[in-house]
Amino acid sequence: MELVLTAHFGNDRYRHADTYEELGGYAALRKAISMPKEEIVAEVKKANLRGRGGAGFPAGVKWGFLPKDLSRPRILVINADEGEPGTFKDRLIMTRGPHLLIEGIVITCYALTTHVCYIYVRGEFVREAEIVQEAIDEAYAKGYLGRNILGSGFDLDVTVHLGAGAYICGEETSLINSLEGKRGWPRVKPPFPASVGAFGQPTIVNNVETIADVPWIVTHGGEKFASLGVERDGGTRLICVSGPVKKPGVFELPVGTSLRSIIYEHAGGLKDGKTLKAVIPGGSSTPVLRADEIDVAFDFESLQKIGTMAGSAGVIVIPEGTCMVRALSVLMNFYAHESCGQCTPCREGCGWMAKVLHRIENGEGKDGDVELILDICDNMMGRTICPLADAAVMPAQSFIWKFREEFDRHIRDKKCPYGSRF
Amino acid sequence: MSLAFSKETRAKHERLLTRYPNREAAILPTLYLAQREFGHLSDEAILYVADLLGFTPARIDGVATFYTMYNKKPVGKYHLQVCRNLSCSLMGAEHLIERVSEKLGVQPGETTADGRFTLSTVECLGSCGTAPVMQVNDDYYENLSEESIDAILDRLR
Amino acid sequence: MPTFTINGISVDVPEGTTVLEAAKTVGIEIPHYCYHPKLSIAGNCRMCLVEVEKFPKLQIACNTFVTDGMVVKSNTEKVRQAVTGVLEFLLIHHPIDCPICDQAGECGLQIYYMKYGLHKSRYAFEDKVHKKKVQDIGGQIILDAERCILCSRCIRFLQEVTGTSELEFFQRGDHSEISLFPGRPLDNHYTGNLADICPVGALTSKDFRFKCRVWFLRGAKSICPGCANGCNVEAHFKENILYRLVPRQNDEVNQTWMCDPGRLEYKKANEGRLLIPAVREHGGLKAEAWEAALSAVAFRLWETVEKNGSESIAVIASPAFSNEELYLTRKLADEVLRTPNLGFSPRTSGNGFSDDFLIKADKNPNTQGAQLLGISEKKFEDIVRRISDGKVKGLLVFGNEIADFSEEKTGELLAGVPFVVQIGTNEGSVFRAAHAILPSASFVERGGTFTNHAGRVQRSWMGFPPRGNARSGIEIITGLANRLGAGWKFAGEASVFRAIAKSEASFAGMSYESLGEQGQMAGGKG
Repeated sequence: MELVLTAHFGNDRYRHADTYEELGGYAALRKAISMPKEEIVAEVKKANLRGRGGAGFPAGVKWGFLPKDLSRPRILVINADEGEPGTFKDRLIMTRGPHLLIEGIVITCYALTTHVCYIYVRGEFVREAEIVQEAIDEAYAKGYLGRNILGSGFDLDVTVHLGAGAYICGEETSLINSLEGKRGWPRVKPPFPASVGAFGQPTIVNNVETIADVPWIVTHGGEKFASLGVERDGGTRLICVSGPVKKPGVFELPVGTSLRSIIYEHAGGLKDGKTLKAVIPGGSSTPVLRADEIDVAFDFESLQKIGTMAGSAGVIVIPEGTCMVRALSVLMNFYAHESCGQCTPCREGCGWMAKVLHRIENGEGKDGDVELILDICDNMMGRTICPLADAAVMPAQSFIWKFREEFDRHIRDKKCPYGSRF
Repeated sequence: MSLAFSKETRAKHERLLTRYPNREAAILPTLYLAQREFGHLSDEAILYVADLLGFTPARIDGVATFYTMYNKKPVGKYHLQVCRNLSCSLMGAEHLIERVSEKLGVQPGETTADGRFTLSTVECLGSCGTAPVMQVNDDYYENLSEESIDAILDRLR
Repeated sequence: MPTFTINGISVDVPEGTTVLEAAKTVGIEIPHYCYHPKLSIAGNCRMCLVEVEKFPKLQIACNTFVTDGMVVKSNTEKVRQAVTGVLEFLLIHHPIDCPICDQAGECGLQIYYMKYGLHKSRYAFEDKVHKKKVQDIGGQIILDAERCILCSRCIRFLQEVTGTSELEFFQRGDHSEISLFPGRPLDNHYTGNLADICPVGALTSKDFRFKCRVWFLRGAKSICPGCANGCNVEAHFKENILYRLVPRQNDEVNQTWMCDPGRLEYKKANEGRLLIPAVREHGGLKAEAWEAALSAVAFRLWETVEKNGSESIAVIASPAFSNEELYLTRKLADEVLRTPNLGFSPRTSGNGFSDDFLIKADKNPNTQGAQLLGISEKKFEDIVRRISDGKVKGLLVFGNEIADFSEEKTGELLAGVPFVVQIGTNEGSVFRAAHAILPSASFVERGGTFTNHAGRVQRSWMGFPPRGNARSGIEIITGLANRLGAGWKFAGEASVFRAIAKSEASFAGMSYESLGEQGQMAGGKG
């Protein structure tokens, strides 16, 4: 199996420039600066590289939104705010392969004539940011960053910018506001970041993994990358598996690998004799699947067809014996805590749902509470500035639709049948 | 008694300002510098940062209170931040939080009387594969169990 | 000029117009809170959601720009449900303070609830998030954070208009709260506007607090009498007592704003008023009927002219009076009293504070009017000298004070004048020195026009007839002039203005109709 990213992640020294170079690193950059810029973008388009942050928007197409004229300087922002529950792959890239990211950044910035890049790292990743900064310092020292990179005449500066604890800052316009020193409130669109972004300049925001894929695409060609995956969804993905499985962790797998094999083959299946009850496929904001729904290819379109999403590839395995009401309550607490508070439906709706669920789980639910939650969901979905409201609604709706009898039972029996515990 | 950055921190701050096109963008990193220097972001610290960067204190405080990692109140020597999100909960985080709480005699949000530990519950730390996870100050402690957490707490003096 | 359709109505609008603004032009009001025509777009309240053809999701009208052929619907069931949904969310934490909240009757939540809500609460009271109520945050404002719907209008105002950013959002999610930084209250001269723009009772006026229910108030369009800026205002009153001034929109003068000192100008119309004609006799004031008072004053003036000549009469006009009143003042001095001693008394009142926004150092609303009507400020200095030299035997003073003179200085100055007549509105230094007092109407008790610092002539309307036994300036001056043989036949302020437009170059071609509600620039001025 072709490994685009993780081939050398087992090597402790791979995060250092010397070892990275020995193992073929920065060859793609050398190739890229001799290519016409449009060709680099064309390869990325051919690669069918869909954003790896959660939204899955094709990277090449996003790059195309930049204005044609170069009079206003551009900015590339790397979204390393990895906060989607169940997701922990960018952390791996930053600690094991930071130079992959850096090489991807330089190639991308070269292709997009961008001279400034910020890497927005979530505030909790202090050590990870230090590792990335070390790699950046090495890159500067070796002439991969700074002035006249590899004699190409191209200048680029990269700055690591730490967030400070806010899931919402993973949303690109919230991230931009946070980078600008503001409260992390998403922006109304229009204008779009590609025309008015950070500091008023045209800005592209891309996920860590998305950019880390770029060197391989330059080396091997977009078509080859595309062929690793499925139609319209190319390459490999770093798929995260968590929950009570034998081998939790990150697996680099071709796009389109079956969810069943991800759980049972790669992650080794459930441990301690547990059986599967449900699984969240793409991070907590994606609709939950029942145990009988896991025979699906892990790619954007296949998962969409069955009513869920590939998202950030954060697979959360939920075993039998888990109270789905309690699980949903944990998630709603999360969204209520993380709602930025800017717009009415999300600010009020998330908190309200969390409180109603809390009561249901504690045996204080009333008749009509489940319908109330679904009604709140209807009043939140698609009504807000950013998709956090939708992200809260999708688990709420799917948990209730697929495990309705558990909710009804809590209300009817006035207690949690699982003893109010995980 | 007024707060001020040390000469070193001041130099760090000057270098930091060169990475951004305006002073506003330096607000988040400056707040971190202030937090490290002054212990926590008291009202005096906020006033200092506001003055240093040229914004109203309301503006700076509004930013500081939005983000969970800026401490407006003092925290103990070790800030135990235990994840309570889904994957960690499925792997026993609830029990661990209870255990730590009992052992230290504080509820989440409180600090031990000797000022050594502050216990907090936090949301997803981005290391779900090694759940349960907690962050102590800047470092992650992963694959926690009752035994390992006891050992960690004993080591942190 | 893109053409689009809203609720079946076709509208042509300039490029760059939003759906919300375009709908306004055809009288369709799309409900909203956070949108304000003079502030940046926030898009956070989500009340203005509308259906836009070809868009799968509802769009906010305040940030959707009209394109040619766009089809918008704001009156469908889907839209109504969306608006009701948002309202329900806003009301779950909102305290039902209506019985004690000043905003009642002009509250955005009340207004839209009656139209779109009318639902029962589904929220458990014990879940309510509590926030700080009744905080004096400085300026003219009281903050009740619990009532706040977090529309951010106040924050945007303090960022974009005053640049002082005292208010900010703190915390996150449904604990977000609007507040000051401790010890840093509101510190600018425009805090009153915050109460205007707050759609609910979160920011309210300290001065107006608990004074009157708004549905008892009637309004009259007026011009603020506080300085030469001429901010367009509306005076609110009940039973001949004024309760507040609020700004009226005039994009050429004050957009939708007014200053804090200006807001309190209404108090002068309520307190310390001269309401009864009177003469000072044997050391005391004796009330007179108008007939008797006017006749007595006219006789005394005639006598003074007979004995000492016209030059012994002086008239100090006031730039606080209307164009109509000033025109008649000049006519009285020129044609009836035939004295050259006519000037207007300037007043900067205290330190003459001004800023680069609305506040002007000249604290008179009609200095330009006086000048354009041929009354000079320089002449005033001349008059003061003449008075000190004992050459003035009869003095007509319009207004309540003379320039910025102290009580002492005014008393000293006027002590040597044998006959001083005041035509004014309030007790002050002039009142205490005058021998005859002819009480005139306050700024809201008579209609008229005023010329602001830039030369804009603006109309002011009467709210209610003069209180007590006061009379309009036109009536008083005409009464005096006709008793001195003038034979004027002015029917009211409109007829005086017609005369002004006929004879005064700067006002040529103007009429009350042409002035409308936004005014016109005087000839040769912009």
